[in-house]
Amino acid sequence: MARTLERPSAGGTPSPPRTTVSELPGRGFQPTPAGWAARAGAVLAPLMVGVWYVRSNAPVRSDALATAAVIAIGALSLNVLVGYTGQISLGHQAFIGIGAFTSAYIISESHQPFLVGVVVALLVGAVQAVVLGLIALRVRGLYFALVTLAWGKVAEQCLFRLKSFTRGGAGAEAPRPSGFTTDKAYLVVCLVGLALILLVDWRLVATKAGRAMQALRESPQVAANYGVDVKGYTLYAFAVAGAYAGVAGALFASRRLTVQSGDFDFAGIALTYLIVTVVGGLRRRGGIVAFSLLYVLGGEYLPDLARAIGVRTIEVNAGYYIQALSAVLAILTLIFQPDGLGTITAPVGRWLRGERFQLAHGGGALGRGGGGDARP
Amino acid sequence: MSGVLAFEVARPVVLGVVQGAGVGLMAIGLVLIYKSSRVFNFAAGEFATVGAFGFYLTKSHVPFLVAALIGVLAALGTGLLTERLVIRPLANRPRVTLLVATAAVAIFVIAFQFLAGAQGKLFGAKALVSGNAFRLVGVFVSWQEIVIVVVLAASGAALAWFFGRTDLGLATLATSQEPTAARLMGIRLNRVAMLTWGLAGALGGVAGVLLPPLTQNFTPAFGTTDLLIPAFTAAVLGGMTSVPGAFVGGLVLGLVQNLTQFNVSSNRLPGAPSVAVLVVLVVVLVVRPTGILGREA
Repeated sequence: MARTLERPSAGGTPSPPRTTVSELPGRGFQPTPAGWAARAGAVLAPLMVGVWYVRSNAPVRSDALATAAVIAIGALSLNVLVGYTGQISLGHQAFIGIGAFTSAYIISESHQPFLVGVVVALLVGAVQAVVLGLIALRVRGLYFALVTLAWGKVAEQCLFRLKSFTRGGAGAEAPRPSGFTTDKAYLVVCLVGLALILLVDWRLVATKAGRAMQALRESPQVAANYGVDVKGYTLYAFAVAGAYAGVAGALFASRRLTVQSGDFDFAGIALTYLIVTVVGGLRRRGGIVAFSLLYVLGGEYLPDLARAIGVRTIEVNAGYYIQALSAVLAILTLIFQPDGLGTITAPVGRWLRGERFQLAHGGGALGRGGGGDARP
Repeated sequence: MSGVLAFEVARPVVLGVVQGAGVGLMAIGLVLIYKSSRVFNFAAGEFATVGAFGFYLTKSHVPFLVAALIGVLAALGTGLLTERLVIRPLANRPRVTLLVATAAVAIFVIAFQFLAGAQGKLFGAKALVSGNAFRLVGVFVSWQEIVIVVVLAASGAALAWFFGRTDLGLATLATSQEPTAARLMGIRLNRVAMLTWGLAGALGGVAGVLLPPLTQNFTPAFGTTDLLIPAFTAAVLGGMTSVPGAFVGGLVLGLVQNLTQFNVSSNRLPGAPSVAVLVVLVVVLVVRPTGILGREA
């Protein structure tokens, strides 16, 4: 619960009351019992809705929610690179796909249980990311983005078409764990995966490694002067991102039951996940999860909405409309609101932890450079 | 014997030069934008696709050359709009932000293409001109390939003339070297930025109009999936700053891709050209980040 003190706001914009020493949790502001009750209610209500949903025959397909969880994990993986360390990856279809095919291979070719598949996918994902990270130590910034772009292409065209690894065009089978074969049960698996990743991510940024990565993002030279192991933490960030992506890939594979090389294309995975990360808000965990959900639900409900209005083209092409809309949202986010959806979710998160509700806190993530909030 | 040579060497060399010229043209667009705005333009591939769509969707309704012009103008317009709506509002942001923004432009244009009725279609791209021109070491070189190379080379030469001889071209060069001084000399930076983005769009459009006939078809988003990475690698070969370097880099990339395509069996190593491109990119970046002809990384 360490809280960095705010600098006086540089822009001179009128801001709501800032946190001061006297208002730090435990020192000053404490919610009233009613306040705590409201917070507990805000946590419990979605949980209850979730439980009710799992037990009922609600209209939203569980499969769509599982997709949202997978996208959220993939976007959180990108967030480690783009948000925490300032490295950019445009080859995330390689990250996700390698996890997916590894897990599929372990489960269906080596006949190991699902969990082993996930763990091996996690490890393999981390290793391939570290290899890329080794290049990132030599090739920086935008040039490194090019390397990831080319790496994604190699994965698409070469790795994922190796017959011995991916079964070529037929696709690799990735059965779901026994007892979790229905969409609804598998949704629980995906949600548990997402919860674990969120937990790990929270600890990641709250500890020394998180501070080191933030220092790296601001300036590797300055970080090195302060004794941060630049090489070590760069590779560490890649390993973490690769591990998340490995898990995302494993869950992706078993959700689809079979995976083919065509499932991991640049526009569909790498760009989409990047846009989800940006619109959700870099370093804004809650925002990323929230936008993953919105993205998928948008694709689910837009056809119904279009049918209701009677616009046939939107009904048929909902996926592309969502894609175009998200791209526009991403650009608007970058221009006007660099924190993305995190602008809304972050204050809610702080409120839930027993602070006052206040918008505008800390610097923008992608935006005004420097002064970023240590905490997502 | 000579048949084998023709298939393994001569044919890929001819194809490589033709495709490489197109890739080189896109690479020039990337270099122009990098020089003027310090942006890695990930929407460049879609400039080419827009050009291709503009051409092939109107080809059956209007004369051939008019359709080609429509394609190039559509791509030019895409470039201008990108600059005005996306790049200018973000001008002072970190470069990674701009990169993400251009990627968002790419995905928007891709989605738009699918919405324009291109869903899952393979677009037939017929030969621009038919017939073979001559035989070279056992392979036929078609008129079409000659037309493509001539047009692409002419575009490159026109650019060289533009930047070397015209006031507007010199203003653009001056801006890329010293924006503040250029502004003090009365050059309007916004105009120059629009000019470079429009020019890059048009160059991509030319490549997009001319390249699809080589493979006889194209899919939506082919600019991003097939051309963007080679074009960037070509630009990096030119050190991201050298216009002739980028064009030469394009030729090199065209040759590398086609030679691997023709000589490595896809059963042994699928997608060999993409591996070759990655290898070239990483080697250049690690060993010689300033490129072949460039001065500054």
